Amino acid sequence: MRNDVRARREDQGLSQAALGTALGVSRQTVNSIETGRYDPSLPLAIAIARHFGTTVEEIFHVDE
Amino acid sequence: MSTSSSAGTRPLKPAAAAASFLAASAVLATGTVLLVRYGPGSMGAGFAVGGAVVLVAAALATWRAARHPGSTTTAERVLTHTGDERDQRIAERAGAVLGMLSLPLTGVAAVLVALGVPALAVLGTLVWVLLAVAVTAYAVLTRRG
Repeated sequence: MRNDVRARREDQGLSQAALGTALGVSRQTVNSIETGRYDPSLPLAIAIARHFGTTVEEIFHVDE
Repeated sequence: MSTSSSAGTRPLKPAAAAASFLAASAVLATGTVLLVRYGPGSMGAGFAVGGAVVLVAAALATWRAARHPGSTTTAERVLTHTGDERDQRIAERAGAVLGMLSLPLTGVAAVLVALGVPALAVLGTLVWVLLAVAVTAYAVLTRRG
């Protein structure tokens, strides 16, 4: 699953560690999500979407 | 996207960590005394050294989780129960790999014993092989996850 987390995080000028702290997860988890190696749980995806003020489907895109 | 519940990093619980350390120390001391007295060869010494290494590693991980929670590794967070949902998933999958491989490996060990290989040597080797499987699975899953 692709996502726009890295672009949105960089737009806000946040580091991976800072975003991880805001979401309550580790920096490594943020990195894994950004690189597509880890698909977050639905609650975490919703938390990410809320953090960026948008919806889950605006951030996460299913690979066709 | 996983449908499991979200789990963020959890704060270290000093009382629980201290209780776990004391319990593990008691198990280590009891096991060492029993193996030194009744175990074959240097099994007691090996148990004591191996257990002490694990205890020191756990103490170090706990100290780092308490002092520098932002810079801990996945393994340290799992060891100190301060991990998030990804850490838990990695630990669960490594455990699953170990579980799946333990049955055939134990079967191989049983066959070796049946063929006349000394049981003690087979059991000793089996422990190390299972440990290697667990560490390898954990390392690979951490890199991929």
